[in-house]
Formats: sequence, C-alpha cells, structure tokens
Amino acid sequence: MTKLERLLNLTAALLATERPLPVDELRVRLEGYSDSDDAFRRAFERDKESLRLMGIPISVEPIHGTDPPGSGYRIHPGDYGGVDPQLEPDELAALHLAATKVRLEGIDGAGVMQTLGGGSVEGDDEVLAELPAHDELGPLFEATRAKRQVEFRYGDMVRRVEPWHLSFHRGHWYINGWDHVREAERLYRVDRFASEVTVGGPAVVDRPERPSSNAARRPAWEMGDDEPVEATIRIDPDLSMWARAHLGPDAEVIEHADGSIDATLSVRNVEAFRSFVLTFLDRAEVLAPPELRTDLIEWLEAQT
Amino acid sequence: MSRFTSTERLTRLLAIIPWVVEQEQVTLDEVAERFGYPRERLVNDLQDVVPFVGVYPFTPDALVEVELDDDTVSIRYADWFSQPLRLPADKGLALLAAGQSMLEISGEDEDGPLLRALTKVGTAIGVDAHGAIDVRIGAASEQILATLRTAVAENREVELDYYVFSRDERVTRTIEPHRLHADLGQWYVDSFCQLARAPRVFRVDRIRSATLRDGTFTAPDTAGAPTVFNAAADVARVVLEIDASARWVADTYPYDRLEDLDDGAFRLTLAVTGDPWLERLLLRLGPAARVVGGDARFGGTFTADAAARVLARYPR
Repeated sequence: MTKLERLLNLTAALLATERPLPVDELRVRLEGYSDSDDAFRRAFERDKESLRLMGIPISVEPIHGTDPPGSGYRIHPGDYGGVDPQLEPDELAALHLAATKVRLEGIDGAGVMQTLGGGSVEGDDEVLAELPAHDELGPLFEATRAKRQVEFRYGDMVRRVEPWHLSFHRGHWYINGWDHVREAERLYRVDRFASEVTVGGPAVVDRPERPSSNAARRPAWEMGDDEPVEATIRIDPDLSMWARAHLGPDAEVIEHADGSIDATLSVRNVEAFRSFVLTFLDRAEVLAPPELRTDLIEWLEAQT
Repeated sequence: MSRFTSTERLTRLLAIIPWVVEQEQVTLDEVAERFGYPRERLVNDLQDVVPFVGVYPFTPDALVEVELDDDTVSIRYADWFSQPLRLPADKGLALLAAGQSMLEISGEDEDGPLLRALTKVGTAIGVDAHGAIDVRIGAASEQILATLRTAVAENREVELDYYVFSRDERVTRTIEPHRLHADLGQWYVDSFCQLARAPRVFRVDRIRSATLRDGTFTAPDTAGAPTVFNAAADVARVVLEIDASARWVADTYPYDRLEDLDDGAFRLTLAVTGDPWLERLLLRLGPAARVVGGDARFGGTFTADAAARVLARYPR
C-alpha cells in the first residue's frame, strides 16, 4: 500500500467517525501500517503531521469513561469542508496570474490555485513583487475571519486584541483592532510582535462596519499620542511630486502657480513630522502653526 | 513517473474527488487541465489508488466507486470527501494579498475577472475580501505607473524627470524600461539608462514625470537583476556614533561595519552615496548621533552648515 493511499484512508476514517478514535482502534481500522508497535507509532505520527501541514484540522479530544483517561483523534466535517468559490475560467486565470506574479514569502500561492481548480497558466512566471511573511499572519487572519480575540506581547505589554483588519503598507504588515487593555482602537506592526499569537475567546466588541481601513496608510506623523495639530508645510516645485506620493490620503494640498505646494497635515507625532520636513532639507518650510515652526528652528539651532 | 510528492498528490485528489462527484461525469482531459495534474498521473491515481479508498471494514460498500473509461470518469460513494478541503488561513491570505496587489499593478476595471474572483474567494473563506485586508505594495503615482507599464509592455523608450534623492538633484534621463517591480513598499523600474549606457534602477516615487517616446528597444532575454543599492568601494564613508534610541538606523541602511558600545549605543560605518543623504540623516538624528570618523569633509562644520542652510528659510 502506498503512502498516498494510507493518507487518504486515514483522512476518510477520521472524517467518518462520530467520536474520537484512540490510536489502537485506528490501527485496527487502517491497513498499510507496520505490525511492529514502534514502527506503527512513528509512521502514524508522521502521517498525522503531513495532514496537519496540508491544513487538515485533526482535533485531539478526551475519550470519556476510560481508565486511565485516554484521548482520540477525529476531523470535524464542519472544520474540514470549505466552500468551492465556483470560479469561472477567466476568474481562475486572473487569480492564478496574480498568485504567480505576487508572492507572499514562503507560501506557494500558485500551488494553492491547483486545489481551487486553477490549472496551470502558460507564460512567464516572473515574480513582480514579494511581500514579506510572518508566522503570525495566518493566525491573525484566521482570528479576523472567525472573529476571535488574540493575545500577543508587544513592547513591554501583553495585548488582548480583537483583530479587525490586516493591511500591508510601506513594506510592513499591520493589524488594527480593538485593544482590551487600552480600551481603544489600536494599530500594531506585525513584525514588531514580541511573541507568538495565541487565539482566545470570541470577539465581544461590535466591529465597525468599515474599520479604519486606512489606518496603516497613515503616515508616521499621524501615528502617535501627541495632541493633534494641523500643520502646513510649503514644498518647492522640484519635490512636490515626490512629496505628494508620501503625504498620505488625508493631507490637504494646495498647488501654487509656480508648482510649489502647501500641504496641511494632521500631526500627532511631532518627532516624525520633523523628520519628514527635514528630508526636504532647505526645499521645504513649516508655515504653521508657530509652535511647530519654533520646534524645528530650535532643533536646527542646536545643531549649528 | 511524477515529480509529485504524496502530500501534493493528496492535496490534488482531495480537490478532484468532490469536484468529479458533483459533475457526475467529466472527461479526463477536463480534470487534468482544471487541476493542473498530468493526465497520465491522474489515470494512474484513479485506477490504482482511489478505488481502494474507504473506511473499515473495506468491504465493497465501504469503498469509493470509480468508473473509468478511455475518456471519462465518474466517482460515487465518496461521502467523506463530499466537500473540498477548506483553504488554510495563510494560503487564503496569500491569494487575497496577491490579488489585491495585482489590481494595483494592472489597474483592472471594476467588473474585471480578478475583482470578481477576489470577491468570490473572500465569500468562500468567510471574509469581505475588500474590507478585511488592504494591501498596498508601494506609494507611487497611478499615472506614472500606468505610463511605465505601457512602456514595459510595448518596449517603448521613456523620458524621465527624475529626482536623485541621495544627491538632492533633478535630472532628465531617457531609459529603456525592462521590468516594473515592488519591494518593501517601493516600486522600482529596472532599466537601461541611455546616458549612462548601463543598467540602472529608478525608484518610481522619485519620478516627477514620465513621457512615452516613439523610440523602441529590444528587451534583453533575461532581465538582469541590477541591485538597487550597490555601494561602490570608492564611495566616501562616514563613521557615526549613534545612541540606542536610534537603533533603526542600523536596521534601515546597509552598512559596512557595526560595533556595539555601552548602553546600547553603537558605532556604524556607512557608505555615503551623496552628501544630501547624510545631511538629512544627521539633521534628523540631531543629538542622537555624532560624526567620529570617515571622510574628513563630513567632520568639522558639515552638520552645522546643513542646519544653517535649512534655517535660512526661517529668517528671524
């Protein structure tokens, strides 16, 4: 009997059962395993791991009324079964092309397509963009989908968060959601998590219809705990184009006849704002408010 | 016969079996094409594997039934496999992220096939594909990206008005764009620069305008992968001592050498691709950094001069 056949039968046995099956019973119910106890154990553990790696949800459950207490395995059909998205050929082709051209680091997106019936696409398989991946992304996405709370360490604190929205912006993954410790909506950078994600109980806070989905698109000067102030900077014509790409969606921009622009920003992080203005060197100027203008002048005077 | 591992074959069969069951009868060619599975491999599995799949006690009524002839197949009594395996979360995310990125790259219409596919996949997984995740692979002008996409596709020359960030200088260049790609939140265009007569990479967000020219070029067979940052040995170096609070500098810029000092401070040797680049870094770091070595021109009043130039915009 081949390994493939053994894996298929193991999956069928675990799906068909209505109670958790102890290992000894599985051994009787399955063919193709060795007679030796040790060899069977090793082969069974390997097979179980193979199925889990494929995403097959094998659950381990206690078996009641046994002495000593034992446990068994099963697959709940509700956890296993997915919905076929019923993609039309042109949709499959478009999705397959996307999965080939844009990779999430370490995940074979094009391979996923074959299980959806994506077939194979002729043509070049040149990757246009690769997004970084983190081990935490899968659990975070799953918790977002299943509306569960998650816990993770961030900075010096353990956070308990109801994740709402996962985003990738400026080269980083962010998760936004309700923070039960701070009792407020918060945004976290996934590559700064200081621990693994543990999935907890169901979410209890009402998720907004449209979470602040642009949270991660916010520029650095909007992300901070300073009292928000409106600041206006003037940027010389040469750099206005470059500046526009970095001003964020909420900036108000007025263009002058000479091509220079005045951009009004909402600043909640003065240090980040100062850094942004200084990237323009002498080609930009803080016009208002006076206190931010003074802050920049004093910062520079300290360096002369 | 095949390059497929057992688990790759299993993944395919767990998708193929429920689909064939639902179709009642399909041609082998159709299955092979839909699931990207070689026909020979498929026939082999349908003949020698699937009919022996079942549950204890493996009597005929507990086995999957496969009817196979030269061209068609039907499968019955595969109740355990009536649904396809749910897409695992990380793979679902990979698909949605790739799809959203591709929308940004190719700029599809609202009723295009990719957008429809993403909506369907999102619904199947149980998320709002356009609400639960948001992927933007780079900040750049849509219009400039579109011009470059056209130029790459049609092998057209492009004239760029480009801002050289490291030298704080505006230049005009005619390029032969070979490839547009995104990395770490930035778009780049790999090109052949006609002025430099050499491959060059341009960052799209620093292109002020891009104009399609009539001239065309022959694209190289394999687009060489020129590196974005390649600090030549003859570029000047600076040695900085930086406080622990600005550790990000070591994470952000490629450096030659890093030495740890007391209290989390560190000494960093960096290549200076242009003086304005170093001026920005030093003005931004302020008291958190000190120039302690490297090319003599970066010592002395280098930082103070830069600060004074910016201060000139703020007459008292």
